[in-house]
Amino acid sequence: MELWRSKSFLVVAVLLGGASLARDLPNLPRDTAPAEEVLGQAYGGYIGDRNFVINRGNGLHEFYFTRAIYSSWSRGYGRRGRGSWATDWPKADVQFLWGLKRLTNIDAYDFDNPVTLDNPDLRRYPFLYMLEVGAMQLTPPEVEGLRDYLTAGGFLFVDDFWGTYEWQVFEHEIYRVLPNYEIVELPLDHPLFSNFYVIEEILQVPNVGNGRSGYGTWEQDGYVPHVRAIFDDDGRLLVLINWNTDLGDAWEWAEDPWYPLAYSNFAYQMAVNAIIYAMSH
Amino acid sequence: MFEFFFKYSAYVYDKGEFVFAAGWPAIVATVVLAVAAVPAILRYSGVRGKSSQLDRLVLLTTRLCILSIILVLLLQPSLAVSTAVPQENFVGIILDDSQSMQLADYGDEKLAPRSDFIHEFFGNDNSKLMMALNERFKLRFFRFSDSATRLENLNELSYSGGQTRVGPALDFAHQELAAVPLSGLILVTDGADNSIDGLSASLQSLRANSIPVFPVGVGMERFNRDIELASVEAPTTVLAGSQVSADVVIDHKGFSGETVLLLVEGPDGIVGTQEVELPNQGDSTVAKAQFTATQEGPHLYNFRIAVQDGEMVSKNNQRDILIVVQDRQDKVLYVEGEPTNRTGFLRNFAIDDDPNLLLGVFMRMAENKFWRAGFESAEELAAGFPTTREELFQYKALIVGSFEADFFTTDQRQMIHDFVSQRGGSFLMLGGRNAFGEGGWQNTPVAEILPVELVPPFANKADPFYVDVFVTPTLFGRTHPVTQMADTLELSLQHWQTLPPLGIVNQVGKVKPGAVSVLEGKTANDETHVVLAYQRFGRGKALAFTPVNQWYWQMAFEIPLEDLTHETLWQQIFRWLVNEVPGQVTASTVLDRFAPGAPVTVTAGVLDDNFIEINNAAVTAIVTSPSGQTRGLELDWTIDTDGEYTATFIPDEEGFHQIHVWAERSGEALGEDIAHVEIAELSTEAFAAERRTALLERLAQETGGRLYSPENVASLPDDLRVSEGGTTVLEVKDLWDLPLIFMLLVALVGTEWSYRKFRGLA
Repeated sequence: MELWRSKSFLVVAVLLGGASLARDLPNLPRDTAPAEEVLGQAYGGYIGDRNFVINRGNGLHEFYFTRAIYSSWSRGYGRRGRGSWATDWPKADVQFLWGLKRLTNIDAYDFDNPVTLDNPDLRRYPFLYMLEVGAMQLTPPEVEGLRDYLTAGGFLFVDDFWGTYEWQVFEHEIYRVLPNYEIVELPLDHPLFSNFYVIEEILQVPNVGNGRSGYGTWEQDGYVPHVRAIFDDDGRLLVLINWNTDLGDAWEWAEDPWYPLAYSNFAYQMAVNAIIYAMSH
Repeated sequence: MFEFFFKYSAYVYDKGEFVFAAGWPAIVATVVLAVAAVPAILRYSGVRGKSSQLDRLVLLTTRLCILSIILVLLLQPSLAVSTAVPQENFVGIILDDSQSMQLADYGDEKLAPRSDFIHEFFGNDNSKLMMALNERFKLRFFRFSDSATRLENLNELSYSGGQTRVGPALDFAHQELAAVPLSGLILVTDGADNSIDGLSASLQSLRANSIPVFPVGVGMERFNRDIELASVEAPTTVLAGSQVSADVVIDHKGFSGETVLLLVEGPDGIVGTQEVELPNQGDSTVAKAQFTATQEGPHLYNFRIAVQDGEMVSKNNQRDILIVVQDRQDKVLYVEGEPTNRTGFLRNFAIDDDPNLLLGVFMRMAENKFWRAGFESAEELAAGFPTTREELFQYKALIVGSFEADFFTTDQRQMIHDFVSQRGGSFLMLGGRNAFGEGGWQNTPVAEILPVELVPPFANKADPFYVDVFVTPTLFGRTHPVTQMADTLELSLQHWQTLPPLGIVNQVGKVKPGAVSVLEGKTANDETHVVLAYQRFGRGKALAFTPVNQWYWQMAFEIPLEDLTHETLWQQIFRWLVNEVPGQVTASTVLDRFAPGAPVTVTAGVLDDNFIEINNAAVTAIVTSPSGQTRGLELDWTIDTDGEYTATFIPDEEGFHQIHVWAERSGEALGEDIAHVEIAELSTEAFAAERRTALLERLAQETGGRLYSPENVASLPDDLRVSEGGTTVLEVKDLWDLPLIFMLLVALVGTEWSYRKFRGLA
């Protein structure tokens, strides 16, 4: 995430007062198109360095890295104008899949797989990735779609949102989706941290800029990384929340010699562990 | 009619030997015939006039026939037959004292009980039958039902016996009369033998001692209107919570095309209902009754159809079946060659918190990297997939997912084969990119146990096989407990039509001969693919389930969140896998219900850790009666059968008895098992209560006797006289005065005269 956007968020937070941003948020500027239109723009065409075309052929695979397309009040970084859902897309997705297929024997679809939250097809993909959720502003169909997805058996991996304000935005939205659930801290002795790789420490993975520059790993007031979770009454993990960290950038820039390898390693380990856990539990 | 023409009954001719009493040698008889015939031949040959050659031939023939008959009569044709010496011989009369003799289908109106025949013909010394028998024989009476005893007075008959055991009854009477000359045994019964005794040994003994049996069959051979639950087949033990499917064979007469309601009642009340349409053609139909067994312990499940108007017998409309619902925990091993979504959905939604299943998962996550969960101990399978039979055979079922054959050693593949064939376990292969032919399982021992043919995978790996199929039960599968998704069959079938399609990535061949397809999938182009099939193999069974994403029935948008199809199907598959998979020790009794006072034989099968029979185990049992009293039993090896041990006891109380069997060898425990048996008055007399003519016919034929009915029993005393049993003398009965011969002579003379008149030759 570039510096200017981080500063903008700080300004907004100061103006509005953090305490007023409880569950009922005031109306925030919304300048994004509905998710369906964004999807139409995203498919096909020339995007960045490569021409990514959604290809759902090539048989049936066990795992699809499915990215949630959701409504937000921010156009997001990385893919201007398409909403925050498209941050790091599709390079992060595809590069992550390269790593996943090399490190495990999961039968993974080679390409990215963005799907809107209110699309019935979302149910075909039990693993869902969302990031930049600090800008999330879900429509009612998206709320219902995500709720049904999670209670039916889906798993949500949340990434790349920073600081108090963005947490409050996310918390507000997720409690619209799962109003009777509780967000808890995931302890390091949880099986998720040892089912494939043994993770003994939660690293704060910086964005590509911070990572290259070496000037601190945090954004806004997100100084300490957290891994939090939402469980259902039977103990099933529904949502894994990576706050104050940017795993997506670490996948996206894993090949960059200036981006520290340790962060990319950790990012792959966390995601691999989460995927293995979600598929087996 | 036979006796009218032939003077004696067919039985007398059957027992007798045809002789000529005149004693002339055959050559002399031939010469006399020739002497008498030559003049007739010459005379008729020489005559001309108005007669033609045909006329002369006809007349000559009739004349020669008359001469032949006269000559035969002169030879004094006779029947030499051994007849019983009056009052020198005994006859045993064995009367059926079972409950079926109370059925009211005797008499002209078919409304009198069968027992009336006994009292009418045998209970009155002044009846013609008794007078004829008493005149010639010394009579001894016996009664029988589940056992036989002497009978001094017919008033002792109560017709309350719970079983009809013909063989032991014949043996008893034979033994009682072994020391006296015995002309035969009269058996008055409907022949509705409902015991497990055989008849061959009894009949062989009687035949060897030339003692004929004369059955008198009472009762209707075929009822006009009746419904009967002929049999109910259901698993004897099931896991708590299992869906049970019982095969109910329903016989009927006179209800073609009508629909009746079959009810199943368990310990908690009515647990299942099924409408049954009785067939137009043939008498029997098999109905599938489905219900869930929840309450632990031995329970009687009652299957019944309400008594319909006009039924002959009402007590045969219901049966009780003992089903032991076990609350045990069965171990299942599930191995996956790669992380799959179905693993998580299966563990989380289908099997989670199931107290009766211990699902151990062994999953390969990467090359040489495995994940284990759900095992009893941290060390279980720490070294990988079992390498010994002892290690593998501890599980009741083995599930192999997308795991290529090459991962397993040759011995491990053979072990999987033996797991089913020898151990009696259940095997399930799931679909996946490394399963079936795609996983290289063809030409391995595992291919032999699978219920489907394996085909080599597509050569083009860039375009692997994949179809979406709509899944429905096959014709057989519709009534299989695994496919039941609703309370009734109709609702269940409707539900299957609403499910979204699933994906198949394995191109399996057709179902093997002898295997059964339970679920099939159809593509949009109407191609059919195997979804779920199984076959029995050796002692166990093997299943194939081809879809890779059955979890989609949990997640799909079209499926309501509260829908339980995914969970239900897996739970039912798992219970099907583990139900009736034997342990190292199995305990059983030949029946699940015995009459009070009857001996109960306990049979135990004992196997070692490799599930091979052993004959030197120490096998003991403790029998616990309903009141809590216990007794110990030592079971001995039967010698005839490897690994089989038996002991017999006679219960003192009525009700459910528990038989707990242990086996050990050299101080090492091999295992244990529990059987249950109910001691209660048997109520099988109402079933198959029609007169069994075939059985009675067999008794007569194999012993040299004859079968009678109430209509022709009057000839019994005369037939008994010539039975060859007991003290006999040879009696020569004249045949020259047979009415048939007189009629034949008159006919021949009349024919000759009529022909002459007709031809104008008179």
